[in-house]
Amino acid sequence: MRDLKETANRIEELLKEAGIGKYALEVKETEMRELNTELETFSLFRTIFGGTASVTVFMDNKKGSASGNDLSDEGLQKVIGEAVASAESAEADEANDIAPDQGRKQVSEGPLTADMDRLYDRMTELYDAVGKEYPKVRMMAMIGSHEAEHVIYRNSNGTEFDCRDGRYALTLEFSAFEGDRGTGLAYTEIALRDLDRPFMEQSDTRRQIADAQAALTVAEVAEKFEGKVLFTPRAMGEFCYMLMDNYMSGSRVLSGESMWLDKIGEKVASDRLTLRLQAEDPRIIETQHYTLDGFAAENVPLIENGVLKSHVLNLYIANKTGRPVTKNTGWSLVIEPGDVSEEELLAQIDRGLVVGGFSGGEPGANGEFSGVAKNSFYVENGKIAGAVNEVMISGNLAGLFEKLIGLSDELVTDGSMAMPAMLTEGVTISGK
Amino acid sequence: MLQDILSGSTALFADGVQTVLRGHENRQRRVVLLNGNLVGNVRGESRGISARVTKNGYHGFSSVASYTEEDAKAVIRAATENALFLDGRAKVKRPGYPALAGGAIEPKVPVIDTEQKLIIEAVKTVDAYVEKSCPKLISRTVVYTEDSQDKIIYSSDAASGHVTYPRCYIYVFMSAMAHTGAPVELFEAFGGLGSFADNFGDLASIYPKIDRLYGQVMDKTEGVYAEAGNKLVILGGMMGGMLAHEAVGHTTEADLVIGGSVAGPCLNKRVGSDLVSLVDYAHTGPDGRVPLPVYLDDEGVIAKDVPIIENGILTHYMNNRETAERFGMEPAGNARAWEFSDEPLIRMRNTLILPGTDKLEDMIASIDDGYYLINSSNGQADLTGEFMFGVSLGYEIKNGKLGKALLDTTVAGTAFEMLKTVDMVSDHLTWSSSGFCGKKQMMPVGMGGPEMRCRITIGGR
Repeated sequence: MRDLKETANRIEELLKEAGIGKYALEVKETEMRELNTELETFSLFRTIFGGTASVTVFMDNKKGSASGNDLSDEGLQKVIGEAVASAESAEADEANDIAPDQGRKQVSEGPLTADMDRLYDRMTELYDAVGKEYPKVRMMAMIGSHEAEHVIYRNSNGTEFDCRDGRYALTLEFSAFEGDRGTGLAYTEIALRDLDRPFMEQSDTRRQIADAQAALTVAEVAEKFEGKVLFTPRAMGEFCYMLMDNYMSGSRVLSGESMWLDKIGEKVASDRLTLRLQAEDPRIIETQHYTLDGFAAENVPLIENGVLKSHVLNLYIANKTGRPVTKNTGWSLVIEPGDVSEEELLAQIDRGLVVGGFSGGEPGANGEFSGVAKNSFYVENGKIAGAVNEVMISGNLAGLFEKLIGLSDELVTDGSMAMPAMLTEGVTISGK
Repeated sequence: MLQDILSGSTALFADGVQTVLRGHENRQRRVVLLNGNLVGNVRGESRGISARVTKNGYHGFSSVASYTEEDAKAVIRAATENALFLDGRAKVKRPGYPALAGGAIEPKVPVIDTEQKLIIEAVKTVDAYVEKSCPKLISRTVVYTEDSQDKIIYSSDAASGHVTYPRCYIYVFMSAMAHTGAPVELFEAFGGLGSFADNFGDLASIYPKIDRLYGQVMDKTEGVYAEAGNKLVILGGMMGGMLAHEAVGHTTEADLVIGGSVAGPCLNKRVGSDLVSLVDYAHTGPDGRVPLPVYLDDEGVIAKDVPIIENGILTHYMNNRETAERFGMEPAGNARAWEFSDEPLIRMRNTLILPGTDKLEDMIASIDDGYYLINSSNGQADLTGEFMFGVSLGYEIKNGKLGKALLDTTVAGTAFEMLKTVDMVSDHLTWSSSGFCGKKQMMPVGMGGPEMRCRITIGGR
């Protein structure tokens, strides 16, 4: 096996031998260790050694890409051959391009080796804590893992990114039971740089587990009304991803369907809302160091005090539409916190819901959404009355952020986003 | 097709453990034209070897992204170490599972590669047809996707074999401006099992379907919002398939039953009307086919059908070898893995609600005020059987006749309650197989059903 840098060098040699003058390449090796449980028992220990090579070639403004994980000379030649064949078959398009020279950048973050004994102990500790503190909660599955990744990106303009990254991750699937009666399934995932603190005290793990047990107390919602909704930080994450995808994404801009197509510099949300895509942020672990076009990733304001600052456009779509490229095409969203507690926001709800999750499809271009409120609670007179079942919420995605009443002063971060809770109004709530 | 370099490594299978060794290659091809612009043009392959070693019920798994005899030895060694790590720390003994009959399965469908040039030409041809034939669209996207799995499986105490799963599709997405001033969208996937030439040798054969899709989009531009509430509806076969998969199928996967799904306490009890029967087919459905046939799973189990609901009674779960032993059922080949680096999980194959004897036209004529819900854009369900499906295509039914198209809406309910309201089932089947099921890993699955008359909660606006 070659060193990763030697593999990148070899790909460049083969590209030059093939007469390819404009290209981008990425070589990656990963090592992942993962412990899986079923109920209270560790059932599976998985170790994965991975590696891939991806090549994009540009020939007379034609672009083709291919990838493979056979890193032998024969395998690399095959990947290059496939990329060349793809490019030769493509239409010439002047919008195809790569970023100008970004220099050479080296990054190394997080633990690159796994401490599996400690991970095993932390997972056991969480089981014990759940059993003792939340005895009605059944942990259906717990997956703890460590992943180390080394990636080298290069392109023919001279850019090189050499990034090493190590992280732990924990995924939980759980629900609460009283006899045969169970709550809906709750799911949570966090990424971590270390195992210094118990999992129960990381991110919003405790809140999610406590909410599952509390959901055994049910409130009936039998009618349809328009009310206020407090989205938990996790639910906020879901709706912010939908907001970005629906109004700001490159595909919506290129197709001309985005309702915010010509709204840059205009107010699209409450002036309380500031939403950013982050690259450098200590709260973000699943960060993007560079874009697929070869730009060094930057922090990008999307909405500042309610004003739309940017769409999320890769270089092709930026060139195609004559708009500026977005130097961050990741998903690490951060919202600036508000100035009141979540409890104070809850107290402002006469009649409505706390929504912890959403089971529904992506809204269409018009932003109209409807779906089931999951892990959610009915609220009357500022107090939680009980969990809801089969209650649907509907409204307009952009409208949620226009009618924003308040954001909580505390953020929850799971390693991929940092979000406050958000109180908004004008949501249609339909009971069974 | 994968060359078998693993047979010699079976000599390394140790006594006192259960071992499965898998060579595995996945291929992906993707071409995307958005309004005629080529925004996707990608080919990808991944190949590797994995081993799962089970000691006293504890599984060790390892994989490597290369494919040599030395790699096979290395993953068996690493998987064994992982099994010993868990077994050594275990405070309780896990139940094992018995050996199964052996056997050898041969590949049934060849994986045939297609030049990217041919794929791009086909996508451009379809795009040109859409541009010419569908003049009122504001946006169109044509996507070609192909994925295939090629696996060589050796097990120490069950069957072995070489299996292949190629499939490819052309998706057509259409968007048009509705009378509401906002765009409406629809898409359809054409294709299925097999390689490019199997599915797209005659592109003209899909043009009538594109014309029909355009007609439906135009209907939708004049669409109305559904009235919210619990309604008498006809669910189309695509919607029935989504229900079979999301709201029933997942709750009857034995690992989720153990986790507390609603199917646990319902075994051998009524969960639907007499008219409802549901089967997870392995490779041959009631119409002599299934979209994605499975002959051998990744634990070395030769695949058989699983009758999940028979005349309204829940009769079986879907199992792996371990859960089958726990529930006293027969493993039927549901343990499947997506990538070479994935461990086998309990997955559906081709999950179908069986057809009845009613005619669709009689079913429509029987409803004074309701809806015919044809296509779903997405669907999700919970362990409780609570489900949500987005409805992308549907029509009003007024006085026994189809009325206006519906704008996007959502239906929701609880599967085992809703299935008890089924009182008419058509004699016509619709299968679908594009897209993926997500459960830790992706997995191609088939699903289908007849039209069913039932009551369901519709979201309205």
